Amino acid sequence: MNFIEVQDISKTFKVNKRKAGIPGMIANMFAPKFEYKEAVKKISFNIEKGEMVGFIGPNGAGKSTTIKMLSGILCPDEGKISVGGYIPYKQRKEYVADIGVVFGQKSQLQWDLPVIDSFELLKAIYRIPEDKYKKNLDRYTDMLDMNGFINQPVRQLSLGQRMRSDIVASLLHSPEIVFFDEPTIGVDIIGKETIRSFIKELNEKDKVTMIFTTHDMQDIEQTCNRLIIIDKGSIMYDGSLHEIRNKYGTSRELIAEFNEETRVQPINDVIIEDKEDRRVSFTFDNNVTDVNKLMHEILGKYSVRDITVKEPEIESIIQKMYTGEAFV
Amino acid sequence: MKISPYMAFAKKSFLQKSAYRLEHWMGILNTLIRLVIYVEIYRALYGGRETVDGITMSMVTTNFILSLGLESFFVVNDYYLSSRLYDGSIATEMLLPVSFHGRMLADNLGTAAFKLIFHFVPAMIVACLFIGIQAPAGPVMFGLFILSALLGYGVLWSISFLFQMFSFWLMNVWAVMTIKNVFINVLSGSMIPLWFMPGFMRTLIGFTPFESIYFTPVQIYLGKITGSEIILGFAKQIIWIVALLLLGFMVWQKGQKKIVVQGG
Repeated sequence: MNFIEVQDISKTFKVNKRKAGIPGMIANMFAPKFEYKEAVKKISFNIEKGEMVGFIGPNGAGKSTTIKMLSGILCPDEGKISVGGYIPYKQRKEYVADIGVVFGQKSQLQWDLPVIDSFELLKAIYRIPEDKYKKNLDRYTDMLDMNGFINQPVRQLSLGQRMRSDIVASLLHSPEIVFFDEPTIGVDIIGKETIRSFIKELNEKDKVTMIFTTHDMQDIEQTCNRLIIIDKGSIMYDGSLHEIRNKYGTSRELIAEFNEETRVQPINDVIIEDKEDRRVSFTFDNNVTDVNKLMHEILGKYSVRDITVKEPEIESIIQKMYTGEAFV
Repeated sequence: MKISPYMAFAKKSFLQKSAYRLEHWMGILNTLIRLVIYVEIYRALYGGRETVDGITMSMVTTNFILSLGLESFFVVNDYYLSSRLYDGSIATEMLLPVSFHGRMLADNLGTAAFKLIFHFVPAMIVACLFIGIQAPAGPVMFGLFILSALLGYGVLWSISFLFQMFSFWLMNVWAVMTIKNVFINVLSGSMIPLWFMPGFMRTLIGFTPFESIYFTPVQIYLGKITGSEIILGFAKQIIWIVALLLLGFMVWQKGQKKIVVQGG
């Protein structure tokens, strides 16, 4: 049995559909119209202990809804969820004692109190033994470089500082699983880097199972070995980052810079495009055209000064998947 | 020091309450003004007589002092659940490994403890000195009065608890809560002493939980009910608490599945 098992879960929200303006308001008061929005449609996946999985998808794809069902906040309309033997929404109280959740857009810290006071409150709530609390607190605040602001009220913190505090808050009780819902949203590059390496170390050293959603592909590239792509409530892809490149990112662009103005002759299955400064771009599919042969052909025929081959950015691959191009 | 999570919540709300000093002084003033108005209305209605239908003026005064006094620290936050559903913080709330209801109660009790010390006590001293209160009908009755008052709080809290569960279906429960509070004000004896209600109304109110909140403790304090009537009063209070909580939990079970986290 897998550590996390999700089987055919669905969640539908009822949305009040209202026309704009005063006539719309009056109509809505007497005969409200509702619309059903399927946020998640029959999603299934399994996650093993110690895995680090990235959830990505465009806004409104159902990522956060899935995370909220996994963490026991929302109850799925259909389907089964089991995490470490618990059924999250049924055994909420016992279950949440073993997990940690970070919502990038919602803080669990007390707005008016210094960060450390919120931590103390969590210590009481989770009944964390003193020595374990002390050990975790010292270790995490050190790793995330928090000593400068731990005594400041939360409302005075920058977004990056608040996010780091929230991450520590969710880890003080040493949870076995941590859910991150957009942990790097709005954080600057250095802050993101700190958070990523922290997450990575926690996964590698402490074998904490992690699931996180993000819009930043860098987060995924640097931390996750497995990727689940959700769009319009369904899973579009579930596999490794490497595989996604092999499968969908097979196009390559070769750019040659020539010593003199050159007219390149057409080559089969290769799109040729003239660029400024005596440069020419050759776009081809890695599975159809062999790079070696193509390079030999170009180098043999023309006088070349420089040559580079680019593989597509993971961002553009995902972008193509969202818009559906990758499946054509 | 190791304290239970619920104690931590109660302590937090106790400390938070002390942050708003002006509100606090105004609260005491509010209790005293209402007390004076209610007492003066009845003094005018009595027109100088000592008793009306066997009810003395000092009984009426005592009824008001006690029920308004209790009301001043019987804290229930009717909007605890709905405010959390409204701003989406229900999400972080549900992630805490504690019972939501226990946490809600602890939060209310923390505030209640603060109000008991800093609102009830000063208001009581002023009221007793300047308006005058009847002595309790004996030390035993006084003890029973305190017990009954605690159960009265239980009833008040349970009513609010049940009504709060409507928040799952109605994002705005203000109207529902206002109607509920009107019923409590009129039928619990804190505005009109229930002795003056016509016979059939008294019987009718006897079948509602409202008289268990303030009126039953007042009756015990004054020695108006004795023996088996006291036992019946306690029984009613306990039955109402159990029934309302059970019903509330049933609605909670249904409502929990309808949780929607607003704001992303």
